[in-house]
Amino acid sequence: MSITSIVYKKELLDIFRDKKTLVAAILIPFLLYPIMFGFMGKGIKGTTSFMEKEDGIEIAMIDNDDSEIGEIIKAQKNIKIKESDNMLEDVKAGKLLLGIEIPQGFDENIATEQEANITIVFDNTSQKSNMVMSYINEIIDQYSKDIVTRRLENKKIDTNILNPINTVTKSPEKEESGFGKLMLSLMLPMMLVIFASSGPIASAVDLGAGEKERGTLEPLLTTQASRMSLLWGKFLAITTMGIITSLAFIGGLAISMKTSPEAFGYGVEGTTFALEPKALIIIAVITILLTMVFGALALAISIYARSFKEAQTYLTPLSFIGMIGFTSYFIEPKNMSTVFLHIPIVNTVAIIKELTLGIFNITHLAIVFIWMFIYIGLSIAFARYMFSKEEVIFRT
Amino acid sequence: MIVVKGLSKKFKDVEAVKDISFTVNDGEIVGLLGENGAGKTTTLRMLATMLKPTKGTAFINDYSIIEEPQKVRKEIGILFGGEVGLYDRLTARENIEYFGKLNSMDEKDMKDSINELIDKFQMEEYIDRRVGKFSRGMKQRVAIARSIVHQPTVMLFDEPTTGLDVTAAKIVHDFILQCREEGKSIIFSSHSMQEVERLSDRIIIIHKGSIMDEGTIDYFKKKYEKDNMEDIFIQLVGEKR
Repeated sequence: MSITSIVYKKELLDIFRDKKTLVAAILIPFLLYPIMFGFMGKGIKGTTSFMEKEDGIEIAMIDNDDSEIGEIIKAQKNIKIKESDNMLEDVKAGKLLLGIEIPQGFDENIATEQEANITIVFDNTSQKSNMVMSYINEIIDQYSKDIVTRRLENKKIDTNILNPINTVTKSPEKEESGFGKLMLSLMLPMMLVIFASSGPIASAVDLGAGEKERGTLEPLLTTQASRMSLLWGKFLAITTMGIITSLAFIGGLAISMKTSPEAFGYGVEGTTFALEPKALIIIAVITILLTMVFGALALAISIYARSFKEAQTYLTPLSFIGMIGFTSYFIEPKNMSTVFLHIPIVNTVAIIKELTLGIFNITHLAIVFIWMFIYIGLSIAFARYMFSKEEVIFRT
Repeated sequence: MIVVKGLSKKFKDVEAVKDISFTVNDGEIVGLLGENGAGKTTTLRMLATMLKPTKGTAFINDYSIIEEPQKVRKEIGILFGGEVGLYDRLTARENIEYFGKLNSMDEKDMKDSINELIDKFQMEEYIDRRVGKFSRGMKQRVAIARSIVHQPTVMLFDEPTTGLDVTAAKIVHDFILQCREEGKSIIFSSHSMQEVERLSDRIIIIHKGSIMDEGTIDYFKKKYEKDNMEDIFIQLVGEKR
């Protein structure tokens, strides 16, 4: 058995026996999204579901003439009319979601084709009040269109005059799968980059600075094992843990998507997140390569630190680098500049986004893979440099 | 056998070890006596090939620490003071086995060596338990067993009794004497006069990276006309302050 595999096996055994690392590297990543999106989904459901409930929308209405529009609004099953002496104050205090004032002679003004006004009072700082405002506006819009239609009919004018252009939309993807792909292309690159950057941290802290703090590094260096074999064994163990952490995150994310679809903004029936197997394999390889880059960097930094605490402080910025994954929101793969393919992390985001959209551009893939191998080479060289520096190893 | 020839080590502007030379024969215990920061640990780290000398060299059983570091590491066992440096989540056996494997032992030799060590240090009861909850004495035995699992012929002890209670320190002292009986060459660093006086065949007094004097206890007592090593040490070191 080679020294690297001896170190690798021992490190994994040690990590899997450490409850602290297991909680940080597997349990928390696995539970984080289901819990977070569970709460978000519940919150979103809570703020939207009241709209569908009978008498769920509480508003006040002043309509002394019992106007036609007033009757239409009152007839809505989800609307409950409440009394109010001061609509503005009651809306402000949250006692009402909205207030409507229909002036006297409203129907008469409509009948005589004069201007007719309705005053709506709503709280522009409340999400619920804004939603009710849109809902009431829709009812008024519809009523307004009916009036226009009636007026045109009275004047014997074809109502089609109101629709000079009729648009018909066609897309390469079915509506449901197109939306799913869009969501996936935004979220997957971002999430994978964040996981790859933060996944190796917990085990890197333990295998680098932890070894110093426990006093096990010096005895290790007196064995016949070369420093490079020790480094490789540790590096591979950290990468493995990084991949396991990423899988835990992805598992948690998949569960969240199933259990809290509202939180992801897709309630659409039949929305699919399917990826082509070829794309899935390439994405997995890229994520593993990126995890290797971050794993080597994390190990190099961790071995420099004197203690667990110091390593954690130094490694926090590394997870911030992963936040570059957010660039997936403004990269448009179908017509992006090739410059993106040469910027670290951004190129990973861009290529994963391309793959999720089903684009297999061999040139782009080749560029990103070449860069990935350069990054791995550089980060391992950095870790190797740190491991061979006496001032780093004996920095206590 | 250990032969040290003009060994020096410089850290940036600080010369931690200055041109030291000495020899340790088989079956001999040499005590490296000095204050904190005198250069004892740096010397031992260079002999263990953990640090590269700035100048000079040393030979462990004729292997050069510069040319053949891996062969040197095969010959040496090292025991540090302070933290025992064991993996708490591994069992005592796994800890020892790990070091056996890293020292390229084959499975059979390693198993035989570990069984011998279990008997020697009476570790039967706890050999397959995780070391995290061991007493200091139990940990010390495991650390000792780990340092000699690959059957080295040269032993380096770097302040091995620092932070130990009387019982645990006794385990280390007995082990050092046992190593001498087995014919190993031993360097033992300490700042405790009594300990060095009790265990060493020869003493090297090191101060600010240089050797002040070396010889047997009788040599020191006769030369400095004092009965107590502490007084001799203070006289030697005091002259150079």
